[in-house]
Amino acid sequence: MLRSVFGKTLWDERRGIVIWSIGIAAVGVMYAAFYPTLNSPEMIQFMEAYPKEIMDAMGITDLTSPEGYLGGTTYGILGPVLTLIFAASLGTRAIAGEEEAGRLDVLLAHPVTRWRVVVERAAALLVALVLAGVVLLLGMTAMAGVAEFSSIGFANLAAASGQLVLLGLFFGSLALAIGAVTGSRGLALGVVAIIGVLTYFGNNLGPSVDWLAWSRDVSPFHYYSGGEPLRNGFQALDSLVLVAASLVLVAIAVLGFSRRDIAI
Amino acid sequence: MSDVIRTEGLTKLYGRRRGLAGLDLEVRPGEIYGFLGPNGAGKTTTIRILLDLIRPTSGRASVFGVDPREGGPALRRRIGYLAGDFVVDGGQSSADLLAHLGHLRGGVPKARIQELADRLDLDPRARIRSLSKGNRQKVGLVQAFMHEPELLILDEPTAGLDPLLQQTFLQLIAEAKAAGQTVFMSSHVLSEVQQTADRVGIIRDGVMVTVEAVQTLRRRAVRHVEIHFDEPVAPDAFVGLAGVTDVHVDGVVLRCRLAGRADPLVKMAARYAVDSIIVAEPDLEELFLTYYHEEGAADAA
Repeated sequence: MLRSVFGKTLWDERRGIVIWSIGIAAVGVMYAAFYPTLNSPEMIQFMEAYPKEIMDAMGITDLTSPEGYLGGTTYGILGPVLTLIFAASLGTRAIAGEEEAGRLDVLLAHPVTRWRVVVERAAALLVALVLAGVVLLLGMTAMAGVAEFSSIGFANLAAASGQLVLLGLFFGSLALAIGAVTGSRGLALGVVAIIGVLTYFGNNLGPSVDWLAWSRDVSPFHYYSGGEPLRNGFQALDSLVLVAASLVLVAIAVLGFSRRDIAI
Repeated sequence: MSDVIRTEGLTKLYGRRRGLAGLDLEVRPGEIYGFLGPNGAGKTTTIRILLDLIRPTSGRASVFGVDPREGGPALRRRIGYLAGDFVVDGGQSSADLLAHLGHLRGGVPKARIQELADRLDLDPRARIRSLSKGNRQKVGLVQAFMHEPELLILDEPTAGLDPLLQQTFLQLIAEAKAAGQTVFMSSHVLSEVQQTADRVGIIRDGVMVTVEAVQTLRRRAVRHVEIHFDEPVAPDAFVGLAGVTDVHVDGVVLRCRLAGRADPLVKMAARYAVDSIIVAEPDLEELFLTYYHEEGAADAA
């Protein structure tokens, strides 16, 4: 693990990776476990009393089908929010956090190029997110029978979890890029939080608000859940958009980081 | 042979603040070069440019004949660097950190790391967070020396080391010199570089004030001298002696400043019964001032 920047980064982050993976899976599984309780006639009536606009804004379409329920809870809001925070914290720490702590001097004075540090840390980010996605998938798969959503099937759960990983990769890369270009951890976290919230609601509200119709197309959340992977399986094209956008962000991180001074 | 480090007109602006204002520097192969200056003079800025951590606003720098910016990993492999503020993740043990940094350098034998750790009396298993400032500095020294680099760049290397370990450090430097390694070390304390350096460059406000052989510098350094006599003395005898200035006599105590050779002052004092002599460590600020006065005089002429 100590041989490369990639391995060392994962090793240093091991505690956070384990805690976040278990945390995301635990919250996801907990919400999934409520499905049989919520899927009752009384509850459906109760939910229908809510204005449609509010439910739309929250990204909830229907709570009666297992796909609709999980797509509105585990994979609709909690999973993405937690994954986003996890990814953004890894992404900001990768360069800006280390720099603000004054730790980059020692590393960069060694025979490593700056682009290698960025790329290896981005790779570590991806691996950490994949681990979290796998733990979530295992938890959801284990829960499927008990919580009465086995109709979704492993392949579609895997598709949704996989696309969640890619959503995390996008926001983690965004945090990495802002941090690498500016060196500011606070700025990176702030911008990611703002963009995360705006694009989340942009995706949900786009269809119902005329002047926001374009917002869905630029929202990473659209490419995460727009194709409804829980219903339709893995969405290759959507995933490709998220991967390509992440690669562009990492490229920006490399270019910006290689050109500037390292702060003490 | 060409210089190991060379800078020409090296300038670094931080916004409006000047970090370096046209620094010329030459470090020859195999020498120990003391880079002396007060805090904020531009020592760390120079060093960080040499390692390509920051880029100069103008002017040129080269290490082993290569621009640090172009040299990349191949150049940094030949350098051992101790940062003035050696900061690493505190959650790891020094052994893990040193193993990792060794790998980045293409592998450093464990025995070599252990040998250095033993000599510096460092427990490599302890978490870095739990180490004192001095012990952290030892970790920094080990990582700088462990791969036996051709060039050692050390920014305030003895900060936080106790006197015993400073001796070990001096030994390490002496061994490096014997092995043909070049050492470029910064300091704001004259006595520190005086013990090790062959040549000393004095930097102030981002420019090189002077470069001297260390013996020359020692001779020029102004010392505060205090002589206690058995009986009161007249100041007149001491005023005007070569190298002696600011003579004050207070009963049996004579205070003055001495630059250069002590001989005239000692010979004069010997005419009286001397109880004790106190010679203070030369003050860096005053040393700068002597150079400034000279420059000022040259400018006026």
